[in-house]
Amino acid sequence: MKILIIEDEKTLTDSIVDYLYEEGHICEAVYTYIDAIDKIESFDYDCIVVDINLPDGSGLDIIKHIKKSSKPVGIIIISARNSLENRIEGLEIGADNYLTKPFHLAELNAHLKSINRRINFSGNDHIIINEIKLIPSDHAVFVNDKELKLTRKEFELLVFFISNKNKVITKSSLAEHLWGDYMDTADSFDFIYTHIKNLRNKLLKEGCTDYIKTVYGLGYKFDLTQY
Amino acid sequence: MKLLTKTSLNYLSVTLFVFLFGTVAFYYLLRYQVNQNINIELEKRKSSILNQLLPAHASVYTPPNQNEKVVITPLKSIKTPQLNFYDTIFYVHKENKFVPFRQLGFVANFNNNDFYVQIYKSLEETDNLIVRVFLIMTFVVFLIIISLLIMVRHTSLKAWNVFYDTIDKVNNYDINSHNEFTLEQSEVKEFDDLNHGLIKMTNRINKDFLNMKEYTENASHEIQTPLAIINAKMEVLLQSDNLDEKQLKAVADAYEASNRLSKLNKTLLLLAKIENRQFPESTNVDPVALINNQLDNLEDLIESKEIHVDKHFEDAIILKMNPYLADVLLSNLIRNAIRHNLKGGDLIINCNQKSIKVSNTGNELKVDKETIFERFHKQSSSPESLGLGLSIVQKICEVYDFGVSYDYENNLHNFTIEFKHSNTKNNI
Repeated sequence: MKILIIEDEKTLTDSIVDYLYEEGHICEAVYTYIDAIDKIESFDYDCIVVDINLPDGSGLDIIKHIKKSSKPVGIIIISARNSLENRIEGLEIGADNYLTKPFHLAELNAHLKSINRRINFSGNDHIIINEIKLIPSDHAVFVNDKELKLTRKEFELLVFFISNKNKVITKSSLAEHLWGDYMDTADSFDFIYTHIKNLRNKLLKEGCTDYIKTVYGLGYKFDLTQY
Repeated sequence: MKLLTKTSLNYLSVTLFVFLFGTVAFYYLLRYQVNQNINIELEKRKSSILNQLLPAHASVYTPPNQNEKVVITPLKSIKTPQLNFYDTIFYVHKENKFVPFRQLGFVANFNNNDFYVQIYKSLEETDNLIVRVFLIMTFVVFLIIISLLIMVRHTSLKAWNVFYDTIDKVNNYDINSHNEFTLEQSEVKEFDDLNHGLIKMTNRINKDFLNMKEYTENASHEIQTPLAIINAKMEVLLQSDNLDEKQLKAVADAYEASNRLSKLNKTLLLLAKIENRQFPESTNVDPVALINNQLDNLEDLIESKEIHVDKHFEDAIILKMNPYLADVLLSNLIRNAIRHNLKGGDLIINCNQKSIKVSNTGNELKVDKETIFERFHKQSSSPESLGLGLSIVQKICEVYDFGVSYDYENNLHNFTIEFKHSNTKNNI
């Protein structure tokens, strides 16, 4: 997937590019409004990650500019502003997601994957990881072609793991992905532990390999490297 | 009591007192003056009688004037002659009624004989006059009092109307509304000064408020961006394979700390926004739907803790609230009740027109009930907790004037939110 990152904070942009590059995406980064418009007019991107506050303009204007052309482009806003109005305005003019800084790279990655599925497969794709088959549009999971009954949260968790496979996923990024960001961390960690335990048990029961590894003190990893 | 009513009442009571006292005094003064006049007249008669009549025989002399009468009798036949002036009443046959008279009695010596002379003068006409004058005066004074009262009330009402308008506008003043704060012009200087002062004050407050708002927004923006960089760097660092366990642990701890910091920043910002009433838009919110949604969301956790959920919802309940705040409020209460629940405990939610009560099983708290809503107040067992959840609950309740209380009974922690009547319909 070809992604353009528009964000004036260079160090943050570098990290995003690093993380996404490892995922196999082609990433380009620009730091100003003018450069962004220039890139958008010259090249095609699958997805654009844009900050609202740029030194020489507003990210919202970039979105409006993109929306004028009929190319299907996924748009994710990253902003430090957390007000409801900003969020609503951003989504109204055509953004797919609105992430408030600071956000988790895993979260950004999961959103990109989901946009990729929507744009390139019209949402009718299958994700196949060894013996696991996921159909996101139907919320269905199969292990060795046998359907697995998962709760909504467990399903979201599995999709999030698979979107960020082979990566260490911290507990806090899992918590925010599942319950939003206005939650006290204490209970979310309990919740996560419970959810992961349940999900792992259900997968193992159907004879699935135990891919979910606990990284002590940090979080979890959906580890496919050894299989 | 309104100031105008109070002044009117004071005015009325004082004038009524003065009026009653004054009319009585007026009556007696009038009476006294008239009596003085009659006395003078009687004295004149006395001297004329002494000049004219006494040389003649002592007898009853009736002067031509009907209202006057002179009686002369030998002093010997009178046991106690009444000297000087006094009032008396005679029956007048002609008019067939009693008529008041004023009398002057004196002793005159004639031919070495003492005579007792009484001069009478009818008071009928003067009395009538007094009564008429008295009535007219009373009526005029009464009219003056009433018209003064009406006039004062009318002019004050007009002047005070501006004041009441000001009070009304100040009461409904909403710093979040973008309407300009204007007040009516008054003819009264004091009220005009007050209005000018108020407008100046609100303008200053507005300016400060906007500055504050800008400052909090900017501060949060400035903090969020470096935090975003820290988190992103750590996340990338965590993925690298060549860290040993000790280094990984250090990165993980730093990562968690920066996460907590960003969460804290976001939550404090939310608290500040609630305190600054920056969630003005309100719609009809159905708390039952929100509660069910939350329970749905937390279903897995409730199951894993084997918590038994007991819902008692009474008919359709509508709250006029900001939907986001309503969600935050209920989710904080429910999560709190799940977090502090025991394995296999109860979660009881009562919801009716007047209140929402969330109860959960749990051991009694060692801390004071009063401090449970305070910021950063937490049971030591969960270090990751921010201790801001219940504080947010309290702040939201403050915004909507809901009553929030906590008690512990029969192994149940109860959090009750009571809607004041007006808040189920309007207000922020």
